[in-house]
Amino acid sequence: MILLESNNYIIQTTLAEKLTKPSSLDVQFVDFDDVRFHLSTPERKTQLVLSMSIRCWDELVRYGVHSILQREYGSMVKAQPEPEYNVSLELDLEQFPADPEARESLIQSISLLKRNVLAAPFETAFTTQKELAAAGSGQGELLALHYRDEEAIYVQASFDRVTVIFSTMFREETDRIFGKVFLQEFVDARRLPTIQSAPQVLYTTNTPPLELSHIPDLVQTEDVGYVTFILFPRHFEKQPIAESTISHIQSFRDYLHYHIKCSKAYMHSRMRHRVSEFQKVLNRAKTEVATGERKTVSGRSLVR
Amino acid sequence: MSNVLRPYLAAVRSTLTAALTLEDFSSQIVERHNKPEVEVGGSKEVLLNPLTISRNENERVLIEPSINSIRLSIKIKQADEIERILCHKFTRFMMQRAESFIVLRRKPVKGYDISFLITNHHTDSMLKHKIVDFIIQFMEEVDKEISEMKLSLNARARVVAESYLSAFNS
Repeated sequence: MILLESNNYIIQTTLAEKLTKPSSLDVQFVDFDDVRFHLSTPERKTQLVLSMSIRCWDELVRYGVHSILQREYGSMVKAQPEPEYNVSLELDLEQFPADPEARESLIQSISLLKRNVLAAPFETAFTTQKELAAAGSGQGELLALHYRDEEAIYVQASFDRVTVIFSTMFREETDRIFGKVFLQEFVDARRLPTIQSAPQVLYTTNTPPLELSHIPDLVQTEDVGYVTFILFPRHFEKQPIAESTISHIQSFRDYLHYHIKCSKAYMHSRMRHRVSEFQKVLNRAKTEVATGERKTVSGRSLVR
Repeated sequence: MSNVLRPYLAAVRSTLTAALTLEDFSSQIVERHNKPEVEVGGSKEVLLNPLTISRNENERVLIEPSINSIRLSIKIKQADEIERILCHKFTRFMMQRAESFIVLRRKPVKGYDISFLITNHHTDSMLKHKIVDFIIQFMEEVDKEISEMKLSLNARARVVAESYLSAFNS
């Protein structure tokens, strides 16, 4: 499992289970980037309410998240979200399609709630790019998405491309160094002939890229880095490709951090192994300790 | 083992073997105390001349003998940031398990990455030449382990980056 999935596994399995066997339910769970979910049956067993809270909701509203929600979920979206949450979907299990395939795809689309919500700035940027391309020049507005406390995604459309910038922040020294190694590989990997058509990746530390230079309150320390992806029209011209590009680029941070954690775990298991080998070598130095009961001259056991 | 490493390890081995002539020695200052003199450092006359064996400016071994104990500190090669962090992690991992490594010191001497403290009690209960073998084997393998970890990190990073970027093609 090298690539992460963009749907939420808990939503998917819970829905599938409740469809076969409805029962009352009240669960809260989380996803990446401090996203909280609440799945409950407030009135009856077949009526589920799925609510989500996300940090950057206000920004998402500005980038047109409501139209995406309408398009994806239609009448399921509740006009008034649950308190403490940003968006609520009302799912009536009795209204679900009977056809297993259609049912599967509906569950899949519900479990993609977070992905669809976060797609708002990307879709806006893609449409802006098309307008600018028709005009032949110009630059779109810089869409900032503060999806975590210290990190943000910036999306900017231009007439020939869409630039996506991730600001990255590593809390720990080890993560920072490992992250540097990984990000450097992202920059270098594109030289391979097989992935020439992938978006161009740039990585800078300390100094923010030019696109962000006008933002006044950027944190500028050793720990902050900027990863820039340059998406060309071939990455989002066709609808299915655009969809997969959005899902994929959203998961960048989770993917990077997941693999940093994995390498740390691997290092740890290696060290454990190596240390136990050293332990064996040292144990060879120990002289044999006399075992068994020792007797005195008269034949009684010697007790110290 | 490379040809450059061999004389270095041979020098450490013979110096350490020569220095490991320890005997029981009670404190001259405090009654009924029997502490490793190299750590206490109270009486100058029982401390012997410390000795540094250097392979190059980044790799060296400091051997501090005394009448009843000897302290050996190793500075491990750290060429770059990654090796520095891996070395730090590895030595810390070992030093957290110091009690099972009897001769290992919980903290390194300043300026070094890892330190061993061998007292006369250790040479009583363990075979002297095997302790020397252990130290030499540690020195041999720690470099190898760190460079292997670094390689595996780079290899993983490459695979991760390639599979992420190639997913844009589909």
